[in-house]
Amino acid sequence: MNDLTVDDRSIALDKDGFLVDLNDWSPEVAEALAQREQLLLTSDHWEILDVLRDFYAQYQLAPATRPLIKYTALRLGPEKGNSPHLNRLFNGTPAKLAAKLAGLPKPTNCI
Amino acid sequence: MARSLLIISRQAPWKGPSAREALDIALAGGAFDLPLGMLFLDDGVFQLQAEQQPAVLEQKNLAANLQALPMFGVDELFVCAHSLAARGLDLCHLALPAEPLDAPALRALIARFDEVITL
Amino acid sequence: MTTLHVIAHSPFADNRLASCLRLLGIEDALLLCGDAVYALRPGSEPLRDLQAMNLEGRLFALKEDLQARAIDGGLAKAVDYPAFVELSLHHDKVNSWL
Repeated sequence: MNDLTVDDRSIALDKDGFLVDLNDWSPEVAEALAQREQLLLTSDHWEILDVLRDFYAQYQLAPATRPLIKYTALRLGPEKGNSPHLNRLFNGTPAKLAAKLAGLPKPTNCI
Repeated sequence: MARSLLIISRQAPWKGPSAREALDIALAGGAFDLPLGMLFLDDGVFQLQAEQQPAVLEQKNLAANLQALPMFGVDELFVCAHSLAARGLDLCHLALPAEPLDAPALRALIARFDEVITL
Repeated sequence: MTTLHVIAHSPFADNRLASCLRLLGIEDALLLCGDAVYALRPGSEPLRDLQAMNLEGRLFALKEDLQARAIDGGLAKAVDYPAFVELSLHHDKVNSWL
């Protein structure tokens, strides 16, 4: 029931819609996940997803909101790394939703 | 003003959940903007060692996680100089920058924080 | 700010006590409970370490843990649980060596 079908491939999701196997991620999978959230990914979204994937590659964990803002500001500048911008892009829950679309595990310490 | 908390982590990353729990407290507190410090003491200094390969034991990379602390607003990272030296470690062996403190500086550090927890 | 350090592990099993003695401020106090009271065994190494510090009036041990282990408090002042609580309140913070 919680599977995602991308190019005839069935991809397992957990009960919150996060990838069960992070290796399943691809840009196409991200687009399909976004569609489930009624979201169309633009370049503004993609640069954040890229930043998130870098964060995960570096620190091996998914950031809560505050570190996401800080890291984004560090990488893309304060006009991108701020809470209104990220909230607007990701329906008000950037840490959770962006992590989901970027193929990261559910953020720890994110309440 | 929130009360400041010093977390003293003194177990090696392989010794049960202690090191992971200390990090979780720091990450959760940092996400809520609490004034936190973290001190690595005794075998806890092994958590900071660079080039560990926890994947060999199918464990998560704690040293990589620890490097995220400044992103979570936890910038006050300290390491006991005595514990380092006793284990043949030097600052250049560490995966993240932590300030080495001698005994008098450690006593002053503990006195400075409102709360202290040792894991 | 003063700290009451609380240790419950045997000094013969790990180095909590040794590390704590290094971190103990001149106004800090130390309370031994559980197997940590073995540090007070006459003739033992940890007792010598404790004696080498000037801990007069700042070293405490939980009375029932001493009694159960047939250890004479000696250097440490034996306290019961109400006195333990009193001590905790008397210091700015308590650091439990878990």
